[in-house]
Amino acid sequence: MEKRSILHMLDPNPHNSPFDINMAMDAGFDVMMPYSNVKLESVHGLVQDAIFSRGPGGVKKTAIFIGGRNLGVAVDMMEAAKKAMVPPFEVSVFADPSGAYTTAAALVACVEKQLKEKHGKELKDCHGVVFGGTGSVGIATGIIASLAGADITLTDHLSVDTALAVANEYNGRFGCTLKGTYASSDADKARLVTHADIIFCTAKAGIQVLNKDILDDAKQLLVAGDVNAVPPLGIEGIKRSDMGAPLIHAINSPGAVGIGALAVGNVKYQLQNLLLKELLETDKPVYLDFRDAFAKARKM
Amino acid sequence: MEKPYILHMLTTAKNLSPFDVNMAMDAGWVSAVPYINVEPGEVQGLVQDAIFSRSTKNLKRTAIFIGGRDTKQAMDMLKAAKQAMVPPFEVSVFADPSGAFTTAAGMMAAVERELNSKFNTGLTGKNMIALGGTGPVGQAAAVIAAKAGANVRIIGRQLEKAQGIADMCNTEFGEGKIAIAAGADADKAEYIKTADIVVATGAAGIELLSAELVASAPQLKVAADVNAVPPAGIAGVDAMQNGTPINGSGSGAVGIGALAIGNIKYQAQNRLLKRMIETNKPVYLHFEHAFEVAQDYIKSAS
Repeated sequence: MEKRSILHMLDPNPHNSPFDINMAMDAGFDVMMPYSNVKLESVHGLVQDAIFSRGPGGVKKTAIFIGGRNLGVAVDMMEAAKKAMVPPFEVSVFADPSGAYTTAAALVACVEKQLKEKHGKELKDCHGVVFGGTGSVGIATGIIASLAGADITLTDHLSVDTALAVANEYNGRFGCTLKGTYASSDADKARLVTHADIIFCTAKAGIQVLNKDILDDAKQLLVAGDVNAVPPLGIEGIKRSDMGAPLIHAINSPGAVGIGALAVGNVKYQLQNLLLKELLETDKPVYLDFRDAFAKARKM
Repeated sequence: MEKPYILHMLTTAKNLSPFDVNMAMDAGWVSAVPYINVEPGEVQGLVQDAIFSRSTKNLKRTAIFIGGRDTKQAMDMLKAAKQAMVPPFEVSVFADPSGAFTTAAGMMAAVERELNSKFNTGLTGKNMIALGGTGPVGQAAAVIAAKAGANVRIIGRQLEKAQGIADMCNTEFGEGKIAIAAGADADKAEYIKTADIVVATGAAGIELLSAELVASAPQLKVAADVNAVPPAGIAGVDAMQNGTPINGSGSGAVGIGALAIGNIKYQAQNRLLKRMIETNKPVYLHFEHAFEVAQDYIKSAS
């Protein structure tokens, strides 16, 4: 009997994400095993346990997924998993905490596409602001856009210290050039929006971050993208399935367009599916993170 | 390729019930995914995570099961799950904490069957006492019977606790349209005099109704016992009993034992798990639906 494909899903949180579990099963894994409350120091042992029980043929039908909510933890877990491999006993690993890597990759790729199509510009020509910039999707969005050359500011809704600490940490880890600030009031947001070419809204679901009065202050806005699919949506006037529809409330930025959560979600979904399938199809073990996600999203 | 059927199984306890997992797999779910130690406040996030990763077509192959131990908590989680849906991103949910909803439904459907077949009557207007009735099975049985028109009294060792549970059942599960009463176990000799139905839903291995009290019940018609561990909860009702007369009953009452109830419970749980696979429109299932399918099963089996 041919061996079944197994995905070991490691999650530092109390629960694996139902989203990722659906995705893993839909990508074609025969068996999905959840591991919750996984500590960083347990990753080494879990990985070695997984690689030594199936033989060199079996490891090709085995892979590891790293979930969770925290980007830094996922990055550390990926490193720990890589170090635990003992070639030829080696399996592929894909990290996508909170789906943040694939969501961020899809969001930035959609914004990049609209920049090019509607305005003939590149990310490197742009100042960008990430609202909800200290959550996992926000951070990953910032890193990807920054590494692609954009000048990116991460905002926290409460604390400038949090925003600066996050920016510093990830600048150190990945060699990007993120800035950090806070935006609690409408006036704070308006100030940031005034000089933004691109806006990413990655705040919590069900929270409107930018209303039409704030958007009124946008003077040079080209593209805005929102990943919140639960009403009220993050940016007033962007509909969930918008993909480059005019941003009606940005009246002082003629030509500005919006991207809604379902349009991003659609790309994210295909992207996560492709990356999960790559784990199944690859002959040589691969280690997939947000960089691979963005490279693939750009090609889609 | 057709996508697999995935059932996300949430429990507030530290383990899922292997009973429920077996039932889910046997009903046709391909993957039963455990989420343990779930806090009620986490339901919204888990549900929204589950609904946004599949197309609306494949959401029909996705559902949520709510286990746990506590009836009200499970019903609150069911409500929270329903509120978390974002149509058309919506999946079916089925709550059956400790299997209590389907157990109570199986028991009450069996009681109703005996009332119909042996006494040519139904649940409406009957006096029912639920001994050891403060637990999940007793609560659900009391609510099912009260909604069907019976006068129900939940009996517990402490009157105050029983009263609190009865009030909770009336407001939370009966929308104020039912009036379940409470009584103390010490007074059961009094209550048994007017009881048409007795159900024993206490802990396993404890006799809740003695042979003397069974003999003293002048209008008792049906006695049902969910306890499968000797001694029986109701003296004279053994686990295999399924509608035969109780030895020592002066009123010609019949008994229903735990295994007879368990069989109907099994059918009801199986049908509700299958309904989530077959339905075209998301459904939210609890004790009421369990009672409906238990009644359907009894009709189809007779």
